[in-house]
Amino acid sequence: MNNPITNIITKWIEDNSRVIDFGCGDGSLLTELRDNKHILGYGIEIDPDGINECLKNNISVVEKDIDDGIDEFVNCNFDVAVMASSIQCLKEPNIALKKILNLSNKCIVTIPNLGYWRCRLALLLGRMPVTPSLPSSWYGTENIHLCTIKDFEDLCKEEDFIIEENMHLNKKRQVSSLAKLMPNLLSCEGVYLLARK
Amino acid sequence: MKTETTNYHFNSGITLESGESLSAFDLVVETYGELNADKSNAILVCHAFSGSHNAAGESDTDGKLGWWDEIVGPNKAIDTNKFFVVSPNNLGSCFGSTGPTSICPKTNEIYGKDFPDISVLDWVNSQEMLLNKLGISSWACVLGGSLGGMQALQWAITYPDKIKRAGVIAAAAKASSQNIALNEVSRESIRKDINFYEGDYLKKGAFPKSGLKAARMLAHITYLSEDNMNKRFGRRMQDADSKVDESVDYQVENYLQYKGQKFSETFDANTYILMTKAMDGFDPAKDFNNKLEEALKNVKAKLLIIGFKTDWLFPPERGKEIQLAAMQSEISSSYLELDGKQGHDSFLFKSKRYEDNIKAFLSS
Repeated sequence: MNNPITNIITKWIEDNSRVIDFGCGDGSLLTELRDNKHILGYGIEIDPDGINECLKNNISVVEKDIDDGIDEFVNCNFDVAVMASSIQCLKEPNIALKKILNLSNKCIVTIPNLGYWRCRLALLLGRMPVTPSLPSSWYGTENIHLCTIKDFEDLCKEEDFIIEENMHLNKKRQVSSLAKLMPNLLSCEGVYLLARK
Repeated sequence: MKTETTNYHFNSGITLESGESLSAFDLVVETYGELNADKSNAILVCHAFSGSHNAAGESDTDGKLGWWDEIVGPNKAIDTNKFFVVSPNNLGSCFGSTGPTSICPKTNEIYGKDFPDISVLDWVNSQEMLLNKLGISSWACVLGGSLGGMQALQWAITYPDKIKRAGVIAAAAKASSQNIALNEVSRESIRKDINFYEGDYLKKGAFPKSGLKAARMLAHITYLSEDNMNKRFGRRMQDADSKVDESVDYQVENYLQYKGQKFSETFDANTYILMTKAMDGFDPAKDFNNKLEEALKNVKAKLLIIGFKTDWLFPPERGKEIQLAAMQSEISSSYLELDGKQGHDSFLFKSKRYEDNIKAFLSS
């Protein structure tokens, strides 16, 4: 478990949970959770290479564009939904979050923070920011709905999502007490455990 | 590739879903590759309604390549260097297994129209008898496309302990109203052929060839995508010297005439009716309050459901429904939507992704 985000998510998920991972990539998080937490997991993915890796790793995967709808999973009774590094790529992230919390008791979201000081500095210097959590150049990015930690926490308030846990990561994607002090300025990325009110 | 063709005789008979029974029956089976020492590498491939036991390699009788030759073979998606692939001809078919063209042991006459109705469950039950006869305790995988995919799904439901994986490809959990309607037009064209004699044509020395041909021509259209047909034939005219029939103008007409003609020379009309009826009747949820998720509750196999974007006979949504029901029942299940250019027939043709995905699923 070298990936600190995987580490955090694994801590937050209880044994034997039913987990749906939106944008599961090659299924590595679900594999980790299956092997260590004995979860029942399903991944949603659109990238053919990721899907094939999931099949190899014996991870259930559904080929689907998340933007095409989340409602269909509403009767599947998931305990936790995971949306790691994909919320900012969605057409309507606020509606997606609402729908996810409709089909799952809890939702773990990661947010690349555009308020991070390096992003602010880059913009101040007249450049689009490129950081560990926002690694792509402006023309190559899939991110269409970026926000700051403050923006995201405001959304949670507006939509009545309860923030049960949060962690703030530094540039090295490690949990940082410094970042926790002033997350909007000092954290590169936020990880949130949300619940419905 | 080591290939064997065997005729298995089952003298214990079988009771069918309809309540009728066959006192004895034969299944002709082709196998590819070799069974390993612990008998854990056996894969059952199930054919669609007009298929036969000849899934891979050249047929002994007409030299034609098997219906899944692009998928089954050495180093192919279903690798016969690794797996022992079992491909039976279904009960009720006309390629060697007991069916309407066989002799009924009671009457010593051809069954013809008196051959009992067969269901997907009956096929699966007969294949389970085959599994026992082969001395194998469970299939590493059962897979098939179209009506073959329906058998794979029924296998996972009916024999949860005897199947590790199921590949349900270009299939549905039940036929739609449109599917039944199209099948009925095909059946009607057979029934109204003057040589059909209410199914007793063989006893009269006749054969409803034109009805069967028209049935196949209609069905064949449903296997192709509009785009694929446009690309292959467009509105191009058929050369005068290569027309199969004087009435033909366009290449697409010539193609359908040719395909229909060929089919009517090798297939049996009663079998056509019986197979399409089996497809229409397939609905494993019917015994579970019409809830597929309940039908899937006891499944232990991992499911791989594949739909093809250009398939309008069993469109991807039908496959998605199966995966969603499996998810609701907490069954390991994946759903893939592949491009496939050939419409419903896409399941027959290899592509890099299709091959990679099947290999990955079988290796997990």
